[in-house]
Amino acid sequence: MYLLLGAILIISCKKDLAPISGCTDNIAINYNPNAITEDQSCNYFSTTPYVIETPYGFPDMKIPSDNPMTVEGIALGEKLFKDPILSADNTQACINCHQQNFSFSDPNQFSTGIDNIQGNRNASALINLGWNTSFNWDGSSLTLEEQAFEPVTNSIEMHNTWMNVELELNSHSDYPFLFKQAFNINYIDSNHIVKAIAQFERTLISTDSKLDRYLKNEEQLTISELNGYAIFNTEKGDCFHCHSTNMFMDNLFHNNGLDIEPFIDIGRAKATSNPSDNGKFKTPTLRNVEMTAPYMHDGRFATLEEVVEHYDSGGKYSTTVDPLMKKLGVGLQLSNQEKKDLVAYLKTLTDHEFITQ
Amino acid sequence: MKKTLTLISAIAFLFTSCDKDKAIATDMTINFTHTVDASELMTNSMIYTNEAGENYDIQTLKYLISDITLHSENGSSLLLDEVHFIDISDESTFSLTYNEVPNNNYTSISFDMGLDTAKNISNKYVNDDFHTTMFWPEPNGGGYHYMKLEGAYNNDSTFYNTHTGGTMGADYSFNHVENISLTVDNDLGDVSVNINMEINNWYNSPNQIEFSSYGMGIMMNMMMQMNIQMNGITDVFSVTVDN
Repeated sequence: MYLLLGAILIISCKKDLAPISGCTDNIAINYNPNAITEDQSCNYFSTTPYVIETPYGFPDMKIPSDNPMTVEGIALGEKLFKDPILSADNTQACINCHQQNFSFSDPNQFSTGIDNIQGNRNASALINLGWNTSFNWDGSSLTLEEQAFEPVTNSIEMHNTWMNVELELNSHSDYPFLFKQAFNINYIDSNHIVKAIAQFERTLISTDSKLDRYLKNEEQLTISELNGYAIFNTEKGDCFHCHSTNMFMDNLFHNNGLDIEPFIDIGRAKATSNPSDNGKFKTPTLRNVEMTAPYMHDGRFATLEEVVEHYDSGGKYSTTVDPLMKKLGVGLQLSNQEKKDLVAYLKTLTDHEFITQ
Repeated sequence: MKKTLTLISAIAFLFTSCDKDKAIATDMTINFTHTVDASELMTNSMIYTNEAGENYDIQTLKYLISDITLHSENGSSLLLDEVHFIDISDESTFSLTYNEVPNNNYTSISFDMGLDTAKNISNKYVNDDFHTTMFWPEPNGGGYHYMKLEGAYNNDSTFYNTHTGGTMGADYSFNHVENISLTVDNDLGDVSVNINMEINNWYNSPNQIEFSSYGMGIMMNMMMQMNIQMNGITDVFSVTVDN
């Protein structure tokens, strides 16, 4: 009996004498699950900031304050972008419909999802996205993070659920460590998945085309390309009002006279519910346009020549057609040579490095 | 020690009350208003007629006003804003506020329609909201559109684009000065100044402008840029003061 009492006393003394101290924060690298007393020794993964240089004639990129760019976040985003784990049956990744060879667009008119169902809009090129103020042809997403939520659960695209994605990633051999490294989190949630993807997408920057080199006096354009440059940038071709600045887009929505009413796809109005937005679509950048066929929101034109023919025709009247389509019914009246020159100019916007890097 | 503390708090209190006085300094609001034939602009309705007898509507109106400056009776001047962008589809652009206007008797206000040569430089305002929509391409001289005024005329499917800007290096911005009587006194409260654009006057006196001849674009047309500039100088802008 005395012995037992003695033993109890010793045990309790031991506990009092040696409480385990260490890092008690379970997000830290040196987290000690046995530690009871915090000793301020916690170390965390430190991220490496990634700085985006502003290309000539571009505004500074606006990066959300709650998703700063880091080397670790971008690498993780790239891995996720290329990993079919995001789709329900692990067969499709983002890159399947946004193929690098085609400036991260789909050469098919419509993309086909995991259930073999086609969409009804052409997959956009992912290029210089950080300078866009909205995403999708109808501008329905205001941030890249918000946009990345859609394809994963869209029933005709990846047809997955976020619960399932989180489950798979959290039990994966690599991802828990990579997310901890990039975001200092233990549990992978959808918010951090889209943050990583958005970080990667912001790095898809293309500003090394023949035209860029011409503007820096490093390369000369041909006579034909120069003629196209003049047609594009004057009211003769009048391309520049929408495809404006060095970004070759205006972040606005226009009805460019493709169809008469009623529209099969009401475009912008789908996002705003405003009938005055019927038939309007977001201006895409023309950088790398040579690689992003087919063209228009519905991929109706297979070639740049067809696109030029559309504008040369002057377009069709509808109640929301943009007044910039001021040669409606008259047409641009370009000669065959001028049309060729315009196409030649558009091809100077190709950045060959971009698709190999 | 206790006395020192009391003194400090007394001084702190005094400073605080000084701040309070400052907080009622006069703020000035500049409102940009738009009329056609002296009635408030209604967009997207073909209810207007120009001097040439063409019916028209107004669908787009975007423009830049720069160097908005107040001048006082003692010769001092106060720059209220370097460049202000107005877009008829965005009400938040219809006014600007300048806080804490110094007490003075202001006798005139001046501003430029568009951007003068020193400002009208490609990419100078690359981080401003208007950069993309007002951009004026290099082969036309570079810089920015001063104004985009667009709509349909005669019927819904014929359009006019009145785009003004520095063309081929020529400066078509113009200065508007208007005498006003504006006393800023902190005891009298906030003030506002209204700058009105009479849109129809872009198209008449001294130069009558027909959409059927010039609707398809005047960006490379130096004569038309000059004619519209003259019309603008003549009677497009007027200023009123709410004391």
